[in-house]
Amino acid sequence: MSSEAVVQPPSAKAGLEDVRELLAQRSPEIWSALRAATRAASDFSEVMALATLRKKAQRAGIPGGVDRTFRLAMVGGSSLYPLHELVQQMVGAGSSTAWWDTELWKGDYDNYISEILDPESELYAFKPDVILLIPSSQRCAYHGPMTDPQELQRAEATKTAADLLDLCRVVHERSGAEVILANFLPAADFDPGPFRVRTLGSNWSFRKLVNLELGLNAPSYLHICDAEFLATRRGAASCYDPRAWFETKQLYSSDFSVEIAREVAGIVTSLHRSSKKVLALDLDNTLWGGVIGDDGMTGIEIGGTHPRGEAFKQFQLAIASLAQRGIILAVCSKNDYKNAAEPFEKHPEMILRLKDIASFQANWEPKSENLRRIAQELNLGLDSIVFVDDNPAEIEIVKQFVPEIETIWLGPDPAEYASQLLNCRLFEPRSITGDDLKRGEQYQQQAARTQAMNAGTDMEAYLASLEMHSVISEFTPVDIPRISQLINKSNQFNVTTRRRSEAEVEELLTNKDHYGFSVRLADKFGDNGLISVVIVKVEGQTAIVDTWLMSCRVLKRQMEDEVVNEMVRLAIERGCTSVIGQYLPTEKNGMVRDLFPRMGFALVEETAERASYQLPIQDFVPRKTHIQIDRRAYDAN
Amino acid sequence: MTQTEILAKMQTVFDDVFLDDVKVTPELSADDVEEWDSLLQISLVLGVEKTFNVRFRVGEVEATKNLGEFADLIQRRMSEGAKA
Repeated sequence: MSSEAVVQPPSAKAGLEDVRELLAQRSPEIWSALRAATRAASDFSEVMALATLRKKAQRAGIPGGVDRTFRLAMVGGSSLYPLHELVQQMVGAGSSTAWWDTELWKGDYDNYISEILDPESELYAFKPDVILLIPSSQRCAYHGPMTDPQELQRAEATKTAADLLDLCRVVHERSGAEVILANFLPAADFDPGPFRVRTLGSNWSFRKLVNLELGLNAPSYLHICDAEFLATRRGAASCYDPRAWFETKQLYSSDFSVEIAREVAGIVTSLHRSSKKVLALDLDNTLWGGVIGDDGMTGIEIGGTHPRGEAFKQFQLAIASLAQRGIILAVCSKNDYKNAAEPFEKHPEMILRLKDIASFQANWEPKSENLRRIAQELNLGLDSIVFVDDNPAEIEIVKQFVPEIETIWLGPDPAEYASQLLNCRLFEPRSITGDDLKRGEQYQQQAARTQAMNAGTDMEAYLASLEMHSVISEFTPVDIPRISQLINKSNQFNVTTRRRSEAEVEELLTNKDHYGFSVRLADKFGDNGLISVVIVKVEGQTAIVDTWLMSCRVLKRQMEDEVVNEMVRLAIERGCTSVIGQYLPTEKNGMVRDLFPRMGFALVEETAERASYQLPIQDFVPRKTHIQIDRRAYDAN
Repeated sequence: MTQTEILAKMQTVFDDVFLDDVKVTPELSADDVEEWDSLLQISLVLGVEKTFNVRFRVGEVEATKNLGEFADLIQRRMSEGAKA
């Protein structure tokens, strides 16, 4: 099993030259090449050249372009050109199938305060979905002597941050848009020497404190573009270019502005895209050194007696840190199960144990098949899985046969494994909610439930034995982050797949034409958390189901029936005589194709784009379930 | 590098930056090309710096009147780099 011969990058990257050629051929392949090249680019001129090629492709009308448009407003204390070109290019590459277009509105140089404070400004007339605010570093400094009392300096830093957060609040409240705020660059000049850390009056300390205050106090509609972190990671001295400031009021050096643009685009697109949920791991030469089937328990390298063993252990620690945050772990390995499981059970240096692995596939089937099995077993989409392997051939096979799955090729040096995982950027939560932290546990409970179901054959008895309790609630401010998270990432059990930003969900709290509720479900194995969201629009005597989604892990638990019961109950309270349900088919929501008819709705009309169903309320008999409802929505008790 | 050679190499930068085809000549200036505004100038200068591996000083590109003078400036900065 010598690995030297097979080690090579899994596939060639599309570059500028490929894109040029595809443009010359007017090939629709250009869009995927543009996406790949843009994602890989780090040089300013390269990204700008790609932007030019994109515009030429759009002008030539090459098919396969724009499949979504964002409205982005940029305001700030510096010139926003050419940053906006870079952002536009990076957002575009965020699409997975075509190109995402950005409609832009740019504020005037250093005019952001009045643009935000004036309710009549063009900023609001533009009606942005997202607003990017980049304040200039000049406004973030302590103006008194560095020897002033620390309390004075601290108070000034706190006020600087509070004023900015206030601006963000105003712009959010007036526009309903999500807000991205770039924090301040680290001060990279040596002056005043090491004394800088002994005072809050130095630019170095002052900006750090302001940035901390901004992050720690940012409300959920506010997303920080962490320029401080990005600059620190890159080398702060190379992030600012004084000539660019004097000539054209650029806040960032040209190559650093590419990183900022990538980050901003990442935030914009993450508002409308789900993050990954499952980490599927190879075993031999991935979790440990060597081949368990050949080398045995005593031969594999794992743990602190040997540098390679330490590297693999560090990789396992990195994996465990993701698991703790709610990422689900799976194993996908070509091995006999008995051999593969043994280190997890018995090796004293292993960090990961069998209980940490929600789905364990060790056999001799192709990995693509095993990954499909993992998705089935966990009841999740293939596109929620990230597959990790040291063998480029396996990565290539997975890319080819299950392209929905994201892959990480670890390469030949285990020293790099942990940092590769920690820098892959695939598992970053948009905003961590309490439920996220518990999710990993929940999937392990799911596995236990599946086993309970396999053991017994009587479905009714099984459901009764689960001792399910549910709390149904109208939308409340504290649930808004979780509700919008579900609205933006549920694909499978989702009848209309209508996305809404957090701000739009918040608006529903006071909207009189709609009612909405969320559902929590607990059973004897544990609490599933908030698992279903329903939004209904009332039009006269008709209640129209605008949104109905559910977490797939509570499928086949009669929760659907209770949701319908509640939908109808609230429709009656609002004087409705019928409930209309709509199914808008997507590639992923096939599982709810027959949901409405199963729930007793009658088909009214069916086209390729939608199926409409109706449920007359007068004949409705609440559906019987094994779920105890502890509280209902809009119910004061 | 002669001025002609520099101008020929500049053409590749122009092709990456402009949407329309712009033919590089010593007499050409921003006034002759509608697309060529102060904003596009930023991309152009950065592209030239990268292609020729030079760095201009503050304000000096702006002071050149046409591409011929710009090419001469590139030449001066290149020879400076070679001496260093």
